[in-house]
Amino acid sequence: MNNSGHGHGWRGWIDRRYQITPLIEFLRHKEVPRGPHSMVWYYLGGTTMFFFVVQIATGVLLLMYYQPGEATAYESIRYLTIKVPFGWLMRSVHCWSAHLMIISLVTHMFSTMMLKAYRPPRELTWVTGYILFALTLGFGFSGYLLPWNKLAFFATSVGTDLVKSVPLAGNWLLQVLRGGPDVTANTLYRFFALHVVILPLAFVALIGVHLLFVQRQGMAPPLGAKGAPRGIKFFPSFALRDLLLWLACFMVLLVLAVFIPYGPGIPGMDWELGEKADALAPAFPGIKPEWYFLWEYQLLKEFPPHVLGMEGPQLCLLVVSLLLGIWAIIPWLDRRAQREQPSPGFSDFGWGAILFLTFLTLKAWDIGATKPASAAASLQAISWTCAWWTLGAGAAIIAIRFLVHGHRLFLLTGAALLHVVLHGFLGLSYLAAGLLAAVLAAISLTVITFRNGGARVKQGGSP
Amino acid sequence: MRILILCQLVGLLAAANAADEKPFVIPPKLAGLLAAQGKDGKPAITPEQRAYFDGLNDHLKELLGKAAEAEIITRADHLATILTLGLRPQKMELVLQDNCVLCHTDPEVQKPETLFSFSPAPSGASAHLNLRDLVDDVHLRRGLSCAGCHGGDPANDKIEHSFVKEWPGIGRDKDRGWVVSFCTRCHADPDFMNRFNPSLPTDQLAKFKDSPHGKLLLETKNPRAPDCLNCHGVHGIRNAKNPLSKVNRKRVPETCGACHANPTIMAGLTLPDGSPIPTNQLAEYRASVHGRAWLERGDLGAPACNNCHGNHAAMPVGLSSVSQSCGLCHAGNASLFDGSKHKQAFEEHKWPQCGQCHGHHGIAKASDALLAAGPEALCTKCHQQYAKDHPECSATAAYFYASITNMDRAWHHFGDTAELLATKGLDVDPIHDKLNELADSLKQTRSHIHAFSKNGFERVAAPGEKAVQSISLLVEAAQKEYRLRQMGLVASIALIGLVMLTLYLKLRSLER
Repeated sequence: MNNSGHGHGWRGWIDRRYQITPLIEFLRHKEVPRGPHSMVWYYLGGTTMFFFVVQIATGVLLLMYYQPGEATAYESIRYLTIKVPFGWLMRSVHCWSAHLMIISLVTHMFSTMMLKAYRPPRELTWVTGYILFALTLGFGFSGYLLPWNKLAFFATSVGTDLVKSVPLAGNWLLQVLRGGPDVTANTLYRFFALHVVILPLAFVALIGVHLLFVQRQGMAPPLGAKGAPRGIKFFPSFALRDLLLWLACFMVLLVLAVFIPYGPGIPGMDWELGEKADALAPAFPGIKPEWYFLWEYQLLKEFPPHVLGMEGPQLCLLVVSLLLGIWAIIPWLDRRAQREQPSPGFSDFGWGAILFLTFLTLKAWDIGATKPASAAASLQAISWTCAWWTLGAGAAIIAIRFLVHGHRLFLLTGAALLHVVLHGFLGLSYLAAGLLAAVLAAISLTVITFRNGGARVKQGGSP
Repeated sequence: MRILILCQLVGLLAAANAADEKPFVIPPKLAGLLAAQGKDGKPAITPEQRAYFDGLNDHLKELLGKAAEAEIITRADHLATILTLGLRPQKMELVLQDNCVLCHTDPEVQKPETLFSFSPAPSGASAHLNLRDLVDDVHLRRGLSCAGCHGGDPANDKIEHSFVKEWPGIGRDKDRGWVVSFCTRCHADPDFMNRFNPSLPTDQLAKFKDSPHGKLLLETKNPRAPDCLNCHGVHGIRNAKNPLSKVNRKRVPETCGACHANPTIMAGLTLPDGSPIPTNQLAEYRASVHGRAWLERGDLGAPACNNCHGNHAAMPVGLSSVSQSCGLCHAGNASLFDGSKHKQAFEEHKWPQCGQCHGHHGIAKASDALLAAGPEALCTKCHQQYAKDHPECSATAAYFYASITNMDRAWHHFGDTAELLATKGLDVDPIHDKLNELADSLKQTRSHIHAFSKNGFERVAAPGEKAVQSISLLVEAAQKEYRLRQMGLVASIALIGLVMLTLYLKLRSLER
């Protein structure tokens, strides 16, 4: 063992034993690259991690009072919320932080995608991030049931029921997930184990790998940058800015927790305890999952019971799996980014995906509904209003991309908007409208490809 | 030898099994009817009817076969009608053994006015010929079919009628008293009724005879007077617990109202005091707290007509029995009233106790304003006319009113406040507990009005007033807690802001 070390005092003492000087030197020279894009995108990973740390801290405090079990789960959370000093604050911060963590994570993922930071050599960073995203959704889904209240019980019943659509192993998977044919205390126990042991262990391990990759390779430089770009020093400039942002996030968290302790009350973002779960009670009206699952919930509703000889939910699951699969392997699909060239097609894909998710989420929120909400006229009104909102958002996105970023390719964004117009304004079924938009997009892509000699589509200004 | 015996036993068992397993052979005529086709070329017997037939036991199939062989059932549509009934085996056996029913369900043989069908009304026939009503009748189930009342022999396939001797030959509709005698041949005979339903009372005739209805029918012989059939129906008589029964509790207001809300029927009929019988009771009852509770919400605690007036002995509720009748349910209020000064005063004036303030059929939800001095006030209105020399009574009523309305206002106000505090994440359980105490006290004070005693009222109002004070303190504490949270937040934000400012300044100095 090399016992030589630098300096005296405690640093020298540690250095002689653990040789931290190379690490300090590494950090001293570490830089965050600058580029034409905003630096804000580099902080989102940090904020996501900050919210995760808040989750761990508040989660541990909640764990000190929470007692899983049919007769204790609801009671212990109720006791914690109304009797334990600052218990309400812990639960409120935990819930708010969960939602903010997902918002931060989704924004981080989309910014990484738009900036093509997934390109070589950072493909595995993207993949680990993708798995972390899936684990976070798992956290949300498993944590939702733990208070064992009425809404959580029925939402979990409906949510887990979807697993049945998995071909061949569906029923077996459902049994495994629920610990029996129905949502019972057994489900609660395994969701508890998942939420406080399995997922945190997996998450921490994976976040370690993700961070290791980021540290080893550094943060992704702007697309097309040659050599090692000059940026700002990680220590102290970037780290201090990170810390400042975390403190700002903490402030926001506290304000939200104090003023809106049970969430804003919109479907999927409301954690008022309400009544205790009762399996014999009639199903809760208007059961909806948390907001980040709403798009899938709505997509399932758009599928008829039987399509193309398959069950609607099965086909929907297949479509969702396909889309998520494409999302996972984007680093290998984006050949232009691999050559450090702008790939406007993939940027367009990202924006199209955002509009696709926006429309479905707005629809799931019943925006524009008239009473009674189930009437056909009301459904039409919802589609109409949501189409307007999505169209407005789409127009703004196209304008900004065109004017600010100089993008010229809007094929998939246009297809997503056409889908919305055909369905929302012209009354075509969601699937028919989607199919028509997809066919038109494919034809346009073929025409563009041929017109450009099959070589390349017109490139945008920035990625 | 043993082997021989064994072989014989086995042989016997096999023969028995073979006999058991012998399938039922559908007689040719019945088979023909089952296979018949309609004019449109489709099977006359629908798949559902055929499935019902296939599910029948062999005995019932045999009875059907016999009816077809005897040419009582000769047409597929006639068979279809019988099968559509979908009766349980016991009832189907009764129907298939009753030639009256079989014959009167054949559209080919019967005229519209004698044909039993599922929808007799459109053909212009009597509503008494509804086949579904007939087979659902409680008497048929007990084996009392057509012949039991109309006479004749249901086993005889020759067409003949021989009405029972109790039926008057002529003028049956002018004097309907015979109906009562006819029904009570059985229903007033305990020995006979015990064979069918030992829990069914047999005193209906005794009660009815002395009731205004009975006197009108049996003594005055008024043709508008009700007999048994007016309330119970004719062929579709069902157990009173059956929701389709005309005397089911849910349908009693409608059944009584059929006559009592009809000015033509009630014309000329008077109450014991000589005044004409009103015809607005049903409308008033429907709009009353009782009517809405029972007819709209299905509240089993709410009364229908018979709960106050009686059933077979139905009569107007007498002056002295009003409070007894109301007191059956409102026992607390009735007992408080009985011990009050007002009881004597009401008796002196011959006022119908509860009804004097609350009304009769159109009882509205009692409002606190009855105690006040406004236009709805009852106390002051009465006292100004009959008890001017008791000014302390007005003061007591004003005290009751002030006390109740204060508690009521507090209950509403604090209820809303608790809801608001709950949305802010504060513990409102103790407030809800006290609100429940307040609600209990409020209920008791409203009830104690009937005792018209200040002392008694104060005793039950005290917990409510105490609860108001407690809630006020709890709300104050919760609001203080919320302010404390806000203060804590401000302090935390200031501290975090300070750290952020320090960091920012440090960053600037480092990058300068």
